[in-house]
Amino acid sequence: MLIRPASMEGNRNMNHPDRALSGCAITGLKSPAPDFAAMASSLFYQSAALGMEVGSIESCPDNAVFSFEFETPLTMPVACRVTRWHDASKQASVTENTMQAACGLMSVHGRAGGKSRPLDLRYVSTLTAALALQGGAAASIGQLRGLSVSSSNVSMASAALLSVGQYIAGATASESPERLSPGCVPSRACPPFTSLDGVVFELETLDAGPWKKFWSELGVSAAAAGKGWTAFLMRYAKAMSPLPDELVDAISHFTYHHIAQVCASTGMAICPVRSLQERAGDDDSRHIWSQGPWEFVFEGNPSGRPLSRITSDLPLSGIIVVESCRRIQGPLAGHLLALLGAEVIRIEPPGGDPLRGMPPMAEGCSARFDALNRLKTIREIDIKSPYGQTEIKELAQGADVFLHNWAPGKALLLNLDEEALTAINPSLIYAYAAGWATDRPALCPSNSMPGTDFMAQAYSGVAGKIAEASGTHCGSLFTILDVLGGVVSAQGITVALLNRCMNNVAGRVTSSLMSAATLLCADDFDGLYNLSRISPPPQSMIDAIYATRQGKIAVECRDRKMVTRLVETLEATLGAGVGMEEEGFSHLRDLFLSRTADEWVQILGEADVPAAVVIEDLADLHGIELLQPGLSPGSYTKVNSPWSFK
Amino acid sequence: MPVTVNIPTILRPLTDNQKRVEITGFNVLEVIEQMEQQYPGVREKLIAEGKAHRFINLYVNDDDIRFREGLLTSLKDGDLLTILPAVAGGC
Repeated sequence: MLIRPASMEGNRNMNHPDRALSGCAITGLKSPAPDFAAMASSLFYQSAALGMEVGSIESCPDNAVFSFEFETPLTMPVACRVTRWHDASKQASVTENTMQAACGLMSVHGRAGGKSRPLDLRYVSTLTAALALQGGAAASIGQLRGLSVSSSNVSMASAALLSVGQYIAGATASESPERLSPGCVPSRACPPFTSLDGVVFELETLDAGPWKKFWSELGVSAAAAGKGWTAFLMRYAKAMSPLPDELVDAISHFTYHHIAQVCASTGMAICPVRSLQERAGDDDSRHIWSQGPWEFVFEGNPSGRPLSRITSDLPLSGIIVVESCRRIQGPLAGHLLALLGAEVIRIEPPGGDPLRGMPPMAEGCSARFDALNRLKTIREIDIKSPYGQTEIKELAQGADVFLHNWAPGKALLLNLDEEALTAINPSLIYAYAAGWATDRPALCPSNSMPGTDFMAQAYSGVAGKIAEASGTHCGSLFTILDVLGGVVSAQGITVALLNRCMNNVAGRVTSSLMSAATLLCADDFDGLYNLSRISPPPQSMIDAIYATRQGKIAVECRDRKMVTRLVETLEATLGAGVGMEEEGFSHLRDLFLSRTADEWVQILGEADVPAAVVIEDLADLHGIELLQPGLSPGSYTKVNSPWSFK
Repeated sequence: MPVTVNIPTILRPLTDNQKRVEITGFNVLEVIEQMEQQYPGVREKLIAEGKAHRFINLYVNDDDIRFREGLLTSLKDGDLLTILPAVAGGC
């Protein structure tokens, strides 16, 4: 059966001949739907945003893999395969949420949410689509550089593990590994905050000074504010933030208006948790949705310098990337390029990045830091000094890519903006992994807000969507957007390199936490703009976590057929009748208590009902057979490259 | 006033790989100055221009010194001074 992807209906409006991959196509799409429906939807959106032609999709229920061919005018088609698990022969049926359960995302998200729970976003699916597309682009670059590469493989499991790689590192570090379980702190104690008049909002500051002044203004003792600061700093590393009750109580006695005034006078940033509808009404929102998560600006490359010489079997081997990034998004982008073979030169301040010393440690380095930076060459440079800036220009002169994630306007202040670097290297791809989608401070959504994950979640509607779907007041303290932003940045750079190879152009690629948020909710924006280009997969009939005799399982039944299989399996296993919708599905809770989670997963797997053990301790992941090919044990458990090429 | 100082891994090359050292001082600054005498190079890793680096957290027992008297936070016998790198913000 041939199906025209719904996302491509009316695609003439989305087809832009001037986009980064105009003239390229994804063809020969074969899907063993519905396991891959959400991934396919995001793949179509991303491909169309890049200007690619998208062929028809053939439904092949018996296939084990989702497959397509990545075509360019100058290369042989690259066979791209997306599997559920690393081992394509493992057929256990999956859904977005069972994959989140199996790979530990629910556990990380649940640390601040009271219990293991799904993100209520098509997160793994979106990541998988981005990595699959990037794999095709990278393999095409490999071909253009003389490498014999014809296929690229990724799995949903590898994408899911990649997203929690830092947290796995923290949980498995050889020195004082973190033991953080879902619900280890009360959800009330974690941000976001709620004002007297019921407004839910995020606060942000990168310095202790504003934090101290802010809480003092609200009548909180310095001692409590200090303990709150320690907790507040934990958010990015540990996905939890156990604030003292004194802070939560104090802030609940003031209106949002008053709190915003205190923020203005103390230097704190504040952002209400907005809905996707509110975000859709912003001036820039529709443009970002239509453009896709990257902004490319290409110019002819008069020098026509070829990419650096290939040095191994990996498609980006020999390509030189200079990275000046801190924290998560930018370093992850550099890490992904290194996994594709690039030589990444990471600029750190004299003495090294302080985060190298952030516990827990493994062999003398922060495990969490090493998880993102272990493949890079380090150069210690004082970027604020004229001498340091000269050193960076020298590096950029010989590089293929320059990547930074500095605050808006800083590149210009340092005289290291695109104009300065491309003047000395016209072939350079100048990449910016931003917070708010632009390097022009005046154009930021709010130039007073730091472009950090939780502020972007609040502003973009992502936190609001999670809160609405989960019936809570909060988004996630899992760094959803930093990780997706890092993937999108690396993907954009790879696309820009491909364009450079094919068309002898160079230029700029900008991506951001905000554009990643838009990508993550692309289906929702399509609906909000009444475009109906994308037909999102329907809501599942059963999508729940059940306690069992030992452990928990996530079960998802997309349609009535699956529900019937589940009921029949339960009846056969338990030897008793099991009712259906007349009484809802709440009675299933008692039934699952009769077996362990492992036993149920095996029983339901044999009946082709998607189910997974909910992993609560990330240290357990490397003991799971299905995930072992994606992990490398050692001084901490490392997540392997999501790609394999042949 | 002897206090125990917990040394983070990243500074241990400067302290002969010791995880904890006993140092005497009446406040945090004095302890750091004393450490500098015994383990040259420590001071510049912790402070500049009279202030703790933004990316370093110093705790006396469980209290962040920024929320007490900063480097002048007083110490008493047996206190624990912990040095930890800080992370503030994503992106």
